[in-house]
Amino acid sequence: MTEALAANQEVQVAASLKDAPELLSWDSRARRVITVYIPLAIFIIVLLFPFYWMAITSIKPDYEMYNYKQFNPFWVHSPTLANIRKLLFDTEYPRWLMITMGVATAATFISVGASVLAAYAIERLRFQHAQHIGLAIYLAYLVPPTILFIPLATLIFQFGLFDSPLALVLTYPTFLIPFCTWLLIGYFKSIPYELEECALIDGASRLQILRRITLPLAVPGLISAGIFAFTLSWNEFIYALAFIQSTERKTVPVAILTELVTGDVYQWGSLMAGSLLGSVPVAIIYSFFVEYYVSSMTGAVKE
Amino acid sequence: MAGLTRRDTLLSGTAALIGAATLPLIGAHAADLDVPTADVKSPDFKAESGATLRVLRPAKFVDPDEVLFRANTKKFSDQTGIPVRVDFVGWEDVQPQTAVAANTGAGPDIIIGFGSAPQIYANKLIQMNDLAEYLGAKYGGWHQLAQIYSCRWGTQDWLAIPMGGSGGASVYRVSWLKEAGYDSIPNDHAGFLEMATKLKKNNHPIGFALGHAVGDGNGFANWLLWSFGASLTDEKGKVSLDSKETIAALNYARELYPQMIEGTLSWGDPSNNKAFAAGDISLTFNGVSIYYVAKNSSDPKLQAIAADTNHQVPPLGMAKKSPSSSLVVNAMAFRHTKYPNACKEYLRFMMEAPQYAPWLAGCLGYWSNSLKAYGKMAFWDADPKLKPYIDSMDTPYYDSYKGPISAASSAVAANYTLVDMFASVATGNATPEAAVKTAARQAARYLKG
Amino acid sequence: MDATTGELILEWKPRRRHSRISRLFDWKPFLVALCMLPTAGLLLIFLTYPLGLGLWLSLTDTTIGQPGEYIGLDNFTSLFSDPVFWGAVWYTIFYTAVATVGKFLLGLWLALLLNHHIPFKAFIRAIVLLPWIVPTVLSAIAWWWIYDPQFSIVSFVLVDVLHWRSHYIDFLGSPWSARWSLIVANIWRGIPFVAITLLAGLQTISPSLYEAALLDGASSWQKFRRITVPLLMPILSVALTLSVLFTFSDFQLVYAITRGGPFNSTHLMATLAFQRAIPGSQLGEGAAIAVSMIPFLLVATLVCFFGVGRRKWQQGSDND
Repeated sequence: MTEALAANQEVQVAASLKDAPELLSWDSRARRVITVYIPLAIFIIVLLFPFYWMAITSIKPDYEMYNYKQFNPFWVHSPTLANIRKLLFDTEYPRWLMITMGVATAATFISVGASVLAAYAIERLRFQHAQHIGLAIYLAYLVPPTILFIPLATLIFQFGLFDSPLALVLTYPTFLIPFCTWLLIGYFKSIPYELEECALIDGASRLQILRRITLPLAVPGLISAGIFAFTLSWNEFIYALAFIQSTERKTVPVAILTELVTGDVYQWGSLMAGSLLGSVPVAIIYSFFVEYYVSSMTGAVKE
Repeated sequence: MAGLTRRDTLLSGTAALIGAATLPLIGAHAADLDVPTADVKSPDFKAESGATLRVLRPAKFVDPDEVLFRANTKKFSDQTGIPVRVDFVGWEDVQPQTAVAANTGAGPDIIIGFGSAPQIYANKLIQMNDLAEYLGAKYGGWHQLAQIYSCRWGTQDWLAIPMGGSGGASVYRVSWLKEAGYDSIPNDHAGFLEMATKLKKNNHPIGFALGHAVGDGNGFANWLLWSFGASLTDEKGKVSLDSKETIAALNYARELYPQMIEGTLSWGDPSNNKAFAAGDISLTFNGVSIYYVAKNSSDPKLQAIAADTNHQVPPLGMAKKSPSSSLVVNAMAFRHTKYPNACKEYLRFMMEAPQYAPWLAGCLGYWSNSLKAYGKMAFWDADPKLKPYIDSMDTPYYDSYKGPISAASSAVAANYTLVDMFASVATGNATPEAAVKTAARQAARYLKG
Repeated sequence: MDATTGELILEWKPRRRHSRISRLFDWKPFLVALCMLPTAGLLLIFLTYPLGLGLWLSLTDTTIGQPGEYIGLDNFTSLFSDPVFWGAVWYTIFYTAVATVGKFLLGLWLALLLNHHIPFKAFIRAIVLLPWIVPTVLSAIAWWWIYDPQFSIVSFVLVDVLHWRSHYIDFLGSPWSARWSLIVANIWRGIPFVAITLLAGLQTISPSLYEAALLDGASSWQKFRRITVPLLMPILSVALTLSVLFTFSDFQLVYAITRGGPFNSTHLMATLAFQRAIPGSQLGEGAAIAVSMIPFLLVATLVCFFGVGRRKWQQGSDND
């Protein structure tokens, strides 16, 4: 709680420093604090609290974890790196991280690529039954993975892909493409068709139009579809559980649960460290893309 | 190497393993691991040339479990030249992965799965009669539970080799029971309830999982049922839940529940471990994990808890033998394997004393033996607190007792039908009569008898 | 309509050199086929085909170890008389409805807050996304701890710090509190996605509209009601549809935290399907439950998409 308060104050102090030259009246500044900063601070605290919990748990020695009477659970009294060391050196964690990254990236590129083409065809080429095909793709997303994974496993075996990350790269698009396509159809709609018409009149080919005009304008859509696809691949659990058997080829969510839960004993420290470390690199990538995503969209639409 | 249990083989084997892994191996001497064997000729499984094996097994309980299992496997590869790779998967992931392997007819050659798996996959497994009979003859016979789970129902045909079981026992705090005036846990229901009441008064309540916890929830529900002489089905597999014994068990659960710590309705498998380690509960049913973790902790507090912890077979009530089952692990060789003989040879090797004894000892009671002779190792005397776990597999009780084990009976357990029945009565959400009817109906959806 | 005009124009004014290949690429049927190929290929092989198998499964009595026989609609009729199934259907709908409303109200609010000029904007936007990034199974485990009957940090604050209560809260111990607890965790996980998506939508709204409204003397509520909401609708409809989809077929959160307990009160259709199919080994029945999710999903998402999405065309922003 104390940190939370401190963080809150920090935000406010920072805010007031910045606002100072703007000669705001006290009244409106107080109002701003109440309507913007306080709710925002509460949001951030609530959204981040579980991570704070994960973070401190990952550096807590075991005996502090359950002893609330002696040790304030919000703080670590004698921090230890043992949990993290165990995670990094006693398990194949770095490797799982690489595999997960690789699978998520590949699945994302395949899905976004396929979706761009499909969405472009449906939205811009406007062939007969385009709407129906769009609907069919959308319906594909309604199929829950819980029903698919056993029949899919048979297929994966027939293709000789069992226990290979490639199995994941090829199956993840089944739930990524439908909604990427729908997202992109929406974005393509927001790009004025007149731009393409002009280009067509100038004699550009369809593919040139797609590459030179539509795609650059759709970058925000591509990025949000990409972010989306990446997150879903990163989080996927059932397929990764069913199709991969070798310890060293598992993805992070599956591997952490397998390796750090021994029967009814959960190794909380390493478990939490694993979840947290797994998210940090992604969070950094996101922090870069989110800005791009939001701002480039503004630019694209204004044009 | 045909089934020798010479001390020198053992010594060098164990020493190498310990050296390799720096195990907390409780200072077991070779003598502690001496296993009485009968002189039986080893069946000659001629491994196919060019054989390679893949083994899938549940994740380790404790580090030595994995380390020794891998070391034994490596020893096998070194001696036979057959490469074997072992993959460990999370407990609850064994089932989906076995399902995938069985349905697709590919994947690991050997899967070490839980409980009912051999019955469910019966048609996809290689018969193990020769190996099982040899092992049984050599090591003093199989425990009852091993036969129940691994033989095709109602026959002596072995579908799998039971490698061990993880038994449940009462885990309790000696000093708190003393404080309440008990040296040991009463074996009758009334006495147990009275003790629970006293413990609660002293602010050291007992705690049993009533939530959807695969191991602990079903374990507690089964204890209630069996210790009252009730059963889910009759011998033919027809639902026999709706009986006066079950009603008695439900009434008892309703009386016991207020004496338990709050919140057990949402307990998962790790919850009682946590609560016990925090000193919040004085008694629960569990495997040896609570004790093991506390004993090996670097924290003096947990070590003190370990010193104050003891185990006892769960109260018998009206049962003659421990009314709790074990989580049995069965090694199944699938018909899709190209190397059935190599599979058998591997399993034979793993079950022989030079390998099995150090493994069992290293697991410190986490696994209890499926072959009777391994219960006679002197190692079990090293820590008397482990005694109640030795014969965990010497019990007639199994999940879905008394009917045949089948996909249908495991469906009932997987749906937590019994757990929910007890939970709804304990909390007063249903009368015993209504709850038993609902549960029987749910069970009968699968068990058509 | 536009497409035909476009083509007419193309044939009418061929300006640049047209090699045979480039003409092929401008031949619409070929282009359409080319564009649809990767999507169609992947979806047909890895989705439609296994889905067909899945549908077939739901009409058989297959168990994990044995190939089943065709039993018609027996699985469905048996499910329809199973109160646990209806409980799961009911809770899935409730869970989806409440969690979606919660996510959108809070997400919209957060998006509006983030749309202000605030210090460390980029950083805050990034960290706010964290709940969405962390694998659900793992954050679910953290939530499980937060809801623990003995070690809940929330209870600790209320009981030991603030002394507002005398007992630890048993979050997951009774049906209703367990249901709400899961919904809270789901909202927590969903807010960032909604907020960031709506934020992107907010930033497309031209500030000049607000300035004009200000000149007309509109109140902030009026500005919100008349400018922000209508202009957000297109993106809102997409986000809403996706969010309903995710929530309806949610699995990991419930599976990791309650497994459907206490007394099956928190089963979602997906968790029930899994529980019956895999640990319970009744593949046919599990498949039937999964299949019966499809009509619900269909209705729910169509309502979202057309109910909310239609307004987009009413805006006349597009010549669709």
